[in-house]
Amino acid sequence: MTAAVHTRGLTRAYAGRKTDRGRDHLALDSFDLRVEEGEVHGLLGPNGAGKTTLCRILSTVLLPTGGTAEVLGHDVRTEADVVRRTVGIVFGGERGLYGRLTPRQNLRFWGALYGLGGKELRRRTDALLERTGLGGRADDRVDTMSRGMKQRVHIARGLITDPPVLILDEPTNGMDPVAAHDFRAMITELRTDGRTVLLTTHDMGEAEALCDRVTLVDRGRVIATETTDSVGALLARHDRIDATDVPPEVVTALRALPGTESVTPLGGDSIRVVTADADTVGEVLRLLVASGVTRVTTAPPGLEEVYLGLIGRQGMRVRP
Amino acid sequence: MEPLLVIRHSAANAFADMRAVYTWRIWTFGWLGRMLAQVTFFTLLGRGGDEEHLAYLALGNSLMTCALECMSVVASTTWERISGTLPLLAAAPARPVWVFFGRSLQWPISGSGTSIVALLCLAPLFGVSWQPAQIPVVVLLVVLTALTTYCFGLFLAALVLNANGVRNIVSSAAYLVMMIVCGVNVPVSHWPAPVRLLADLLPLTHSLHALRLVGDGAGPGPVLAATGLALLCGALWLAAAGVAFDVFMNRGRRSGGSDHF
Amino acid sequence: MRLFLNGFLFQLRLSRRSPDTFLVCVTAPLLTTVFLSINAYTGRHELTSYAVVAPTLMSLWALALSVAGSALTEDRDLGTLEGQIAAPAPMALTFLGRMCSVVVVGSMAFAETWLVAGALFGRWIALPHPVVSVACLLATALATAGTAGLLSPLFVLTPSARTLQNTLTFPFYLLGGVLVPVSVLPQWLRPASYTVFLSWSADLLRDSLATDPVSRPALRLLAVLALGAAGYGMGMLLLHRVVLRVRRTGTLTRT
Repeated sequence: MTAAVHTRGLTRAYAGRKTDRGRDHLALDSFDLRVEEGEVHGLLGPNGAGKTTLCRILSTVLLPTGGTAEVLGHDVRTEADVVRRTVGIVFGGERGLYGRLTPRQNLRFWGALYGLGGKELRRRTDALLERTGLGGRADDRVDTMSRGMKQRVHIARGLITDPPVLILDEPTNGMDPVAAHDFRAMITELRTDGRTVLLTTHDMGEAEALCDRVTLVDRGRVIATETTDSVGALLARHDRIDATDVPPEVVTALRALPGTESVTPLGGDSIRVVTADADTVGEVLRLLVASGVTRVTTAPPGLEEVYLGLIGRQGMRVRP
Repeated sequence: MEPLLVIRHSAANAFADMRAVYTWRIWTFGWLGRMLAQVTFFTLLGRGGDEEHLAYLALGNSLMTCALECMSVVASTTWERISGTLPLLAAAPARPVWVFFGRSLQWPISGSGTSIVALLCLAPLFGVSWQPAQIPVVVLLVVLTALTTYCFGLFLAALVLNANGVRNIVSSAAYLVMMIVCGVNVPVSHWPAPVRLLADLLPLTHSLHALRLVGDGAGPGPVLAATGLALLCGALWLAAAGVAFDVFMNRGRRSGGSDHF
Repeated sequence: MRLFLNGFLFQLRLSRRSPDTFLVCVTAPLLTTVFLSINAYTGRHELTSYAVVAPTLMSLWALALSVAGSALTEDRDLGTLEGQIAAPAPMALTFLGRMCSVVVVGSMAFAETWLVAGALFGRWIALPHPVVSVACLLATALATAGTAGLLSPLFVLTPSARTLQNTLTFPFYLLGGVLVPVSVLPQWLRPASYTVFLSWSADLLRDSLATDPVSRPALRLLAVLALGAAGYGMGMLLLHRVVLRVRRTGTLTRT
């Protein structure tokens, strides 16, 4: 079966930008990724990890310097025109819309660029405006709109050609929490279309809420690709316990427990204990309560812990 | 078909920009007034000479106003960078030249208006005269001048799309050079051969020649020939602009970096 | 004096980074070429001095407009205007310093046009009254700077500043007798012309390039300076109003 997105050894060097060792800076370094059709796939990584470079290559805005990238079996280099008609893109941030035009005019413009016209263009524009909740403001100037509303226009713009593959690059970047929540609800709705969505983010919660699988990325390389559930399961046996006002001798005792993976200060008088099995949780709690510590919270680890753990370990290996 | 569709929807931007800058009153009393003052200014340079040269200057400078305004495309093309849409254009299948052609159509339209008012209302004060039957031809030639010169401007715009700082210098220098070499103030034949060659490449030279032929009551043959040359020049510049915009996009795809787009 | 100098150096640094300020250095020789080619064609060589004076004055004026239009608005965009207004330094002096430096760049236009007339058209213009010429250039530069002081707050107070800026070019060149003497204009326009310092500058500069003795140069220089000073004074009054508005509303954003 053809993958929706398939990259093999994908590399992108930027001439002019050098690493410490004087080599060209590699934004992507032998990047292998396979995204299946109909999947919502998350690309997780810190800023500068290479996520945006990947999005730009997949949308033919940027050429790779090595390796291959295919969208639904079409090479981004040799079949750029087909790829352009296959991929919808939404870049985050304020830019990319014509502020003096209305959402309706923006959508019609971009539709026209993809060869849509006449009734078909009008029908699709109206449907998308309705769907993205812009119906009431379809004829207001975009530059009078809030950040969240603008992002809806961005999404509608990305969907105007009804693309089988949709790329969302940091779509909630800079959004307020309410807008981000609305936006996620909209993406959840998009999955029911059977569209493939590739979403980049550095927000764990977002990836957890939206994605079937996530690929963890750092410094242009893939660290791991897992289902969102199994990444969680990877450390499901782990638990984290946050406690405040723990006497120093108790901290030492906690460190000495065989089932404790780490004890880290959180700032202030708080510490975080991460345990490797459920039994240890009970023991940690007993120790804390016995020494009179009353402010204790426990929680399952978020994707963040997994992410930081994995990136941390990878980092140890890469750095000499 | 597809280029026309893109141009039409891209032009929405041109009109939105126009509405944001001008009201009818500001256009009429601000812009038009200023341009008519410019025509008068240059025409008065011929005072004291023969009447014929005064009319020559009035006609040339009246048509020049639309060419001047069309050079604004150099600046307005860079507005695309400001709206941050260049990477999205690079990701779209349509050729960028059609987007940019529609994007700044307000200039040839407003410029045609200015030139028509100047030719029909101001120039007659300096001895230019038109028969009623000639007026439609004059209007057509003005629109042709505006559009073909606009194509030349698009080419310059593609060249400086990445060099924000020099755009005003390029557009001002371009219109002044046109003013010097295209037969606006003195006949093209007044210049040495290399300058004449440059003039021949600019659509204004030929459309202005056509307009002067109409004014002199020449037959349709020579007028059509000059018009054809203007169209040919315009088409060549449009083709060159198309290539230049494609080159710009492809260079961006290769070099990458947000500094390009 | 130090304030004045600071403003001057600041503007020079700004103009080095913005090629638009050097726009006039490109347009001035081209304009001279336009004028002289017409002169050469009509055979009226005695008008060469007009063709040299006009681009110089046009350059100065265009530059003053552009700087007046952008100085305050740039300050506003950068958020430095509020800072300047809050600072105890007399703003007027700083501002005048900034204007004068630009005028220096504009004066280069004179040298360029003179060179173009000589090198391209073989008409080397002698300076029979060098003292008057130089004094007139200096006075004009000062008056231009002063007038820009009037224009700048005007631009801040009007909504379509850019359009206004564009509109104030050729109508003023006509009114100021920059290229054709005011006497060519209709009678009713002449009184208006005499309130524009450009008309005094243009006449005096042209007379200083002719061999005949210049009549009453001191008085005419004074007229140029007085009109410039009047513009500057009115400008500072307006600026004061702008400042008051900023203090009242906390911002310069037009509503």
